Amino acid sequence: MTKGVQIAIGATAIAGLLGWYGATNLDAAPAFTYYKSLEEFRANPDARSGARSRFHGYVAANSIRRDVEAMQVRFLVQNAPPHAEGESGVPIEVVLDSLETPDLFKDGAEVVVEGQLVAGTAGPVFEADKILAKCPSKFEATPIDSTES
Amino acid sequence: MPDIGGYSIRFALVIALLGFGSAIYAGVQRRPEWTRVAERSVWVVFAFVSIAMLVLFYALATFDYQLFYVASHSARSMPLHYRLAALWGGQAGSLLLWLWMLLAYSVASVWFNRAKNRTLMPWVVAVLLANAIFFLILVAFVTEPFERLQPGDTLSDGNGLNPLLQHPVMMIHPLMLYTGLVGFAVPFAFAFAALVTGELGTNWFRTTRRWTLFPWLFLSIGIILGGRWAYEVLGWGGYWAWDPVENASFMPWLPATAFLHSVMIQEKRNMLKTWNLLLIGLTYTLCLFGTFLTRSGIVQSVHAFAQSPIFTSVFLGYVLFSALVFFTAVAYRRKEIRSPNRIESMVSREAGFLLNNWVFISLLVWIFTGTLFPVISEIFQGEQITVGPGFFPIMAGPLALFLLFLTGVGPLIAWRRASLASVSKQFRWPGVVGLIASLVVGFALGESATYYPTMCWGLGAFVVATIVQEYALAIRARVRKGEENALQAFTALLRKNQQRYGGYIVHFGAVLIIVGMAGSVFDEERLENIQTGDQFEIGGYRLQYLTANAIPMQHYGGAVARLALYRGEKPLGVMTPEKRMYWLEQQPASIPSVHSSVIDDLYVTLTAIEADGSATFKVYCNPLVNWIWIGGYIFVLGSVVVIWPHPDRARDSQDG
Repeated sequence: MTKGVQIAIGATAIAGLLGWYGATNLDAAPAFTYYKSLEEFRANPDARSGARSRFHGYVAANSIRRDVEAMQVRFLVQNAPPHAEGESGVPIEVVLDSLETPDLFKDGAEVVVEGQLVAGTAGPVFEADKILAKCPSKFEATPIDSTES
Repeated sequence: MPDIGGYSIRFALVIALLGFGSAIYAGVQRRPEWTRVAERSVWVVFAFVSIAMLVLFYALATFDYQLFYVASHSARSMPLHYRLAALWGGQAGSLLLWLWMLLAYSVASVWFNRAKNRTLMPWVVAVLLANAIFFLILVAFVTEPFERLQPGDTLSDGNGLNPLLQHPVMMIHPLMLYTGLVGFAVPFAFAFAALVTGELGTNWFRTTRRWTLFPWLFLSIGIILGGRWAYEVLGWGGYWAWDPVENASFMPWLPATAFLHSVMIQEKRNMLKTWNLLLIGLTYTLCLFGTFLTRSGIVQSVHAFAQSPIFTSVFLGYVLFSALVFFTAVAYRRKEIRSPNRIESMVSREAGFLLNNWVFISLLVWIFTGTLFPVISEIFQGEQITVGPGFFPIMAGPLALFLLFLTGVGPLIAWRRASLASVSKQFRWPGVVGLIASLVVGFALGESATYYPTMCWGLGAFVVATIVQEYALAIRARVRKGEENALQAFTALLRKNQQRYGGYIVHFGAVLIIVGMAGSVFDEERLENIQTGDQFEIGGYRLQYLTANAIPMQHYGGAVARLALYRGEKPLGVMTPEKRMYWLEQQPASIPSVHSSVIDDLYVTLTAIEADGSATFKVYCNPLVNWIWIGGYIFVLGSVVVIWPHPDRARDSQDG
């Protein structure tokens, strides 16, 4: 057996070991998240019930409620920006289990929410543990800002 | 005035095309006089692009709001230094900066090789000019920095720069990063020239090694500064989030670092020639690919530029084309670059370096997969699936530990074949130190002692001990000769064998960085909603909320909270986190307040002043963060020692 073959076997063994290690540990971290628009999310929520998902939409005007007692922020997310023409669709209620919101999170901001859908008393509620907010900027700089709880 | 900029770019493009033509002609026909023509055209192109840069700087300085770029990236209220830094605050301007740097590097390589590497030079110039031509076309036709607004639309004031970018670190971070990323064009060009001419001996990579070290150092500085900026500005208590834009700067660093190690095997043992060529090609391709990734918006990032489909497809085409040409050339020469030597033993320095290379490449593969997962899953599953920051450390953790181990082991094992006796002699003391350190850390942490920090700090101590041992033995040997004292011997080592002993300093810095990062295992964070006068504790500190005041600034408003910080009963100072609102840009920003020490950082952000008058704070206690920055300084210092040009070094490198 030449040195080259030995090295190849060694390399394959190490790569296999690392791959196996990585694959077995993936489940431990909440690593994979689906990303879709509110509409796509709505169209097929059952497939994802219990699973972590994320979708993007716009914060409905005057919908942000900061509940200091419960340490929660509640708001509505809709399909289109509040001042845009056309259908904004039925909004979905999102509860962030934290008072920590990103700087750019405000009325009309485009947001990406991550978490899972749960059954609430008045219909399904999306329990978010992470929100990202995008700045509706005039030209090209579009910073995104995030928070995690 | 702005017209001069646009004309300069177009003129530079014409000259670059002519220069490229003469370089190819000189290379194919072996006509040295045409090489000189090509080299002079590099100077001319550089001069015209410099004029374009100056024109844009001038327009930014003088509020020339006829220009789209100036209007959208600066404002009258911004101080001069931030107006000038706006040149790299947007897509078009930063491409111009990239182009200028590429030409600055081209001019430098033409100058330093005016009497060397003459057969390689036409191809080096051809590759560099081909890259420059691509960027010239981009700034001349696709994203023009000198584009004018419609005549009626001339504005009296601009849009301003994203306030998050108005920070001293952000003035230098992009410059450092570009000096790094762009600089890899030079080793890439030399490697390609060697492949084309078939002169695959020692010349090209001796030249290349130094041209790789320089951009590598700046890329390292850029990455560290990026972390520093995120820590000070973004207000989420961390310095690295595995965001695509961060990964984009880190990915080329990995094969570049691998190359700097494996090139030593080529120098000493004339092995791994193909591998080294592949690493150079991979590094430059990843530099371009990273630029594409952050500018095209194909993956979501905290840091996004405008997204134009033309730009995306043109740029991707360019990245793939350069990679294709380069790797085809490697495949074409594969027989000639096959190395006559083989690894003789797995217990040898070359085997250690080879393992080190595999670790760097495994890290790269993992990070690449995670970063592009949305794209990969879109192709295979039809859905975008993103991976969270939790994905990356799964592999990065164990690989970093293994790398740390190799950092200590590699330099101590002999070349070719190490004997058991020499290995055990070399490892005795460092091994004991590492073991004791792990035990001390384990006992000190008690129940919170987990695998990662214990292993990491134990290995860190082991590596530091090997470095100290290497220095001590070498200094003792010199002192025993009787001509030098210890300090003279130390400086002599850094002078005479700067590659080795400077490298150890770099390793020491890297160990401190990793040790500091391992501190994040013990991070604490709290979210507190409290009234004035209330207090709470975190990480042994006590914070009392005093007051909140309006910020009386012209360009932004908001609130600044004041909190008294105590350790036990001892007052440490007043923390002043701010919640700002930038009026012009209509953008809020949370500015954290940090109390920093060598043990830990206390990091406070003001999340909101609530309607009932209470304040919500997010507070982090981050152990050992400071060691990352201290390690960063040492890392840079060591790299400077390695690169520093000594007058006697030219001779040294001749006889290897």
